[in-house]
Amino acid sequence: MNSFFLILLILLAGAAISFALGKISSIISGTVAFLSIASASVLFFTQLKNNTYIEFPLGEIQLQWGIDSFGYIFALIVLGLGSLASLYSISYMQNKERTGIFYFNFVLVITSMVGIIFSQDFISFFIFWEIMTWSSYLLIIFNKKDVKEIGVKYMIFSAIGAYSMLTAIVMIKGNYNTFLISDAIQAGAFNFTNNEYIPILLLIGFAVKAATMPLHVWAPKAYSNSPMSFTVIFSGAMSKMGVLGMALVLVRIFTFNANNEAILPNFSPIILQQTLAWLGAITAVIATLYALMQDDAKKLLAYSSIAQLGYITVGLAIGTKLSVMAALFLAIVHGIFKGALFMVAGAVERQAGTTDMTKVSGLIRKMPFTFFTALIAIIALAGIPPLGGFVGKWMLYESLITESNSYFLVILVFFSSTSAFLYCYRFLFGLFLGQEEEATKDVKEAPITMIIPMLILSVLLMVTGAYPGILFDPIAKGMETIGFNNVTWDMSVLGNIWGNSVNMIYVWLTIVIVFIAAFIFLTLKGLKGTRYVSTKDISTSGEIPLEHENLTFQINFFQPFRRAAAPMYKRSMDKIWNEIGSGLESLFNFTRKIYTGNGQTYAIFVIAFLVLMLLLKDTLFLN
Amino acid sequence: MVISPVHYIAVPLLAAFLIPLLSKFIHKELARIVPGIVFLYSIFISITLMLQIGDKGIISEVIAGWQAPWGINLVFSPFSGFLASLMSIIGFLIWLYSYNFKKIDKEQSQKYHILQMMMVTGAIGIVLTGDIFNLFVFMEITAITAYSLTSFYRERDGAEAGFKYLLIGSFASVLILLAIMILYTQLGTLNMAEIAQKSHLIPTSLKTTIIVLFLVGFGIEAEMFPLNGWAPDAYSQSPGPIGAAFAGIVVKAGVYALVRVIFTLFDIHGAYDFLIYGGLITMIIAETSALAQTNLKRMLAYSSIGQMGFVLMAFGIGTHQAIVGALFLMFNHAIIKSLLFMSGSYLTYNSLTKQISALSGLGKKLPLVSILFGIGAFAIVGLPPFSGFWSKLYVLSAAADKNMLLLIMTILAVSIVEIIYYFRVVSTLYYGKQNPEIEIQKPSINAMVSMIALGITILVVGVYPDVITNLLENAATALTDKATYIQSVLTQNLPIN
Amino acid sequence: MYNLELQNNLITTSVYGSAIALILIGLYAVLVKKNLIKIVIGLSIIDAGIHLLFVAIGYIKGFTAPIFSPGSENLANKMVDPVPQALVLTAIVIGFATTAVALSLVIRLYKHHNTARIDQIKSLKW
Repeated sequence: MNSFFLILLILLAGAAISFALGKISSIISGTVAFLSIASASVLFFTQLKNNTYIEFPLGEIQLQWGIDSFGYIFALIVLGLGSLASLYSISYMQNKERTGIFYFNFVLVITSMVGIIFSQDFISFFIFWEIMTWSSYLLIIFNKKDVKEIGVKYMIFSAIGAYSMLTAIVMIKGNYNTFLISDAIQAGAFNFTNNEYIPILLLIGFAVKAATMPLHVWAPKAYSNSPMSFTVIFSGAMSKMGVLGMALVLVRIFTFNANNEAILPNFSPIILQQTLAWLGAITAVIATLYALMQDDAKKLLAYSSIAQLGYITVGLAIGTKLSVMAALFLAIVHGIFKGALFMVAGAVERQAGTTDMTKVSGLIRKMPFTFFTALIAIIALAGIPPLGGFVGKWMLYESLITESNSYFLVILVFFSSTSAFLYCYRFLFGLFLGQEEEATKDVKEAPITMIIPMLILSVLLMVTGAYPGILFDPIAKGMETIGFNNVTWDMSVLGNIWGNSVNMIYVWLTIVIVFIAAFIFLTLKGLKGTRYVSTKDISTSGEIPLEHENLTFQINFFQPFRRAAAPMYKRSMDKIWNEIGSGLESLFNFTRKIYTGNGQTYAIFVIAFLVLMLLLKDTLFLN
Repeated sequence: MVISPVHYIAVPLLAAFLIPLLSKFIHKELARIVPGIVFLYSIFISITLMLQIGDKGIISEVIAGWQAPWGINLVFSPFSGFLASLMSIIGFLIWLYSYNFKKIDKEQSQKYHILQMMMVTGAIGIVLTGDIFNLFVFMEITAITAYSLTSFYRERDGAEAGFKYLLIGSFASVLILLAIMILYTQLGTLNMAEIAQKSHLIPTSLKTTIIVLFLVGFGIEAEMFPLNGWAPDAYSQSPGPIGAAFAGIVVKAGVYALVRVIFTLFDIHGAYDFLIYGGLITMIIAETSALAQTNLKRMLAYSSIGQMGFVLMAFGIGTHQAIVGALFLMFNHAIIKSLLFMSGSYLTYNSLTKQISALSGLGKKLPLVSILFGIGAFAIVGLPPFSGFWSKLYVLSAAADKNMLLLIMTILAVSIVEIIYYFRVVSTLYYGKQNPEIEIQKPSINAMVSMIALGITILVVGVYPDVITNLLENAATALTDKATYIQSVLTQNLPIN
Repeated sequence: MYNLELQNNLITTSVYGSAIALILIGLYAVLVKKNLIKIVIGLSIIDAGIHLLFVAIGYIKGFTAPIFSPGSENLANKMVDPVPQALVLTAIVIGFATTAVALSLVIRLYKHHNTARIDQIKSLKW
């Protein structure tokens, strides 16, 4: 049997079985889900050879599945993160209700993403894309919180994306008479000389999943409200499907035009490039500012995800070798560290009952492994050397400075990534440092099946920091597949365009030494003994706080900053969309009044329509 | 005995006549069982004839030995055969579903089943007949039974809905009759094939008048805006399975008649744009009206109207692929909307007002029905891997072939509205707060079988559309191939006994 | 001969005219009158008008009934067209059935709403 079908069948069977077993035991159901994803991954990485394709007809439509180096990059994210997240889910979802539905949709999301990676034609691509959308929808509203608002918003934006994609697909079929992606590229469907709307429509479709402004408003709540073990996939892998599509389209647009100089005078790709890059950068800035203001760790991470996707968009939009490499590298690394962080948030949620940073603190002693993961992932997120996040950011900055032609863009990206330090600190401090709260006195470390995936991800972050080459290798191959030529890379040396270079091994060693020294110093200092006080044990200047008041600076953490940025928070994209929505709704409410309920009115409609048609008959119906 | 299309009509008519006698003198249960047997027989005829005609053939059956164009003839082409088969199957499933429907008490059920059988028979007659006046008669049979079924429940506002339906339906019958009359004065024939052959002889202004009368008349039955004021009321007040029958059978007959007039009778290309715009406006108004509905069945009704608008629009595009897509849409709409009405009426079983809020949290209490409703909802908005996706793809792809970008975008924008309200229902169903006071009604086994059959069809066609596309291709060819139609009706030599 | 033609025309015109008048009267009743019974009556009047019109079309002055009996074979081309009459008979039956259903619905509506005014029976709307 063909490996493509076998992999999908294993996953589908896993989905079905875990659904059936959900009634019996959540652990067994979760184990089945994990086993099916893990075995599918093993099969994928052992059995599937690169550049194998199969074709089969479905009616008149010729479908093609295959795997190339480009898809391979995303398969790494999806299957790797999928296996770890499903392992993590076993304990996370333990003793919850409706686990059958959860695992069914969870495995289905993974299946559809694998399917997207397999798809070499637009029809199967779209089918898997839509399955991914609705199965993730069912997971987003799984927690029954704000079902209407979150679910409907997610569905509306997904539908906007999916339908602009579908429009593009049928237009490609109409103009080039093909559903195959490779044929469409050959025919030049993605270049701007023929029709600019096909690539733009496709980009809109992908931008929704990649949560780019102004189509991002579904993301914060969707990320933070779904079960955390799914958000790992949602933010870590699913958003990367948008990145996959954008990379595919953008690279074609830019490389084609670079080679052939075929640029429409009124709509050159430069405008597209700049627009997208700016959208990405603005997304990053705004999402970062919003992340700062969050009290809930999950929401903080959700906004941070959007910000990171903004960087990736910038990288893709610049469209040079270095920037695309940076973007893809960031995409993988973001999958790893954001996956780890959401796992951390999930672990805290499960053990402490909440992720509200004003209510939980000082978990470092209770949950040391979780803290360790959080620390490593936060370092990667902030882009501090020596971890993987640094490598990606370095390359992005380098390409921005040398190749973007716009220093404002660089400033924006710098600004957002510097502000990101603030929320990174907030996350670590809020959950793990500071004084211990009464409420979290009995918190224990998360179970082992949750710790293992987190630690694996931490180790991966370290390895990618020291030897980024292990990711450069597949990325370079993938980029060569989609149209770049001669992508060069070095195992642990960065910066092969600018002349100067950074060797990550040295950075790594230096930092580890400093880290160890600091650790020893602090431990020795800590031996002297520390006085632990409760959070209420505070005296302020002349005022005695009420007993229930918590005046630690966890509350209103960035108050001065919030005041400074207040005008910005007033106008949010969310509000604009909401107003559009309610405006349309009242319009629809008005138009449906045409059904007055009076039978006679309907009769008058009929006669009026008849008279109208009789008046217009000769203009309408003369052949 | 030779199987012939006449049996579609004759057997139910005979049965309708015999049922009261049989149930009186032999056994009461017969009144409920016989319609099922009749439907099964119709399905049997459908299969036999579909196999008999193969890919291209057309069976033209004359009634009482009078040759066409003098006598009345029935035409079983791949197109009408496809619709007749679909109607028989949906009719059977609806019968199966309503066999033990508790809301219809035993005394009433005899009436109910006869009326339902006659309604389906009328619709099948519409698609099979080759005589325009006969078509009118069948339309009236369908309409009158539909009026009665709409007002079947006494405790609801059925009478109101039924009266509105009747009022507007009477206009339809008057206009169609007027059109037939003018047509007859001009051509002196009622045979559709002969009309099609000679339609170019009619003076232009009269011809367009006839077309307008037909379009408005059949447009009422096909739920075109602004002629569809009756439809939401009729759907929402009739018994659940009858809502399914309206969506799956009755409207289809109206659309068939409309399409026949445009494609075969007059072959008038100017009407294509009329269909596109009429369909589009119908779709927009209906779907946006559905958005704010709080009554589940009324929401489904508006969605149904919107879908019919989509079908008309697809026919209006006019290319072969678009017609295949339109037929695919009709097929999908028949099975999916039937499933939605069937499962929806169990989900709101004890709620008199059929509020969507009454569904809250029922996903746990009625798991299978809820899943079936969910499948239906996902399928109707066109999410893969359910069957609705393929029909949408076909139509959009056909529109793209003609470079109608704006049309595609409008359709998809309307689809977003559709997604919103269907997903609202599904999320209420599964993620709403459970209301412990709601008493649920477990569906009987036969109702379950009928719903599951529809659900499986949706999935199978969704995963592997090839099972149906061949039929649709033949049907689309038969619809547009006017010459073959005329030839096979008018030049057949031997009456078949 | 001239007179006959005039008379013929007069009859035809008056029949057509009264048919159209009937249709318009019926339309007026259906579209303007609020009482359900009047609306049903209006529908019947429209029907009657249509039927009259149809019969009038089939009628040709001086032609005989289309019945073949011994000795009338040579009259075949002097017979009126029987089809409209057959159709009208069918249509009358249908109209009768519709009216019956309509009236029964009116009774139900009156019992339910205690009024027979169509503009007050609007519990189903929007």
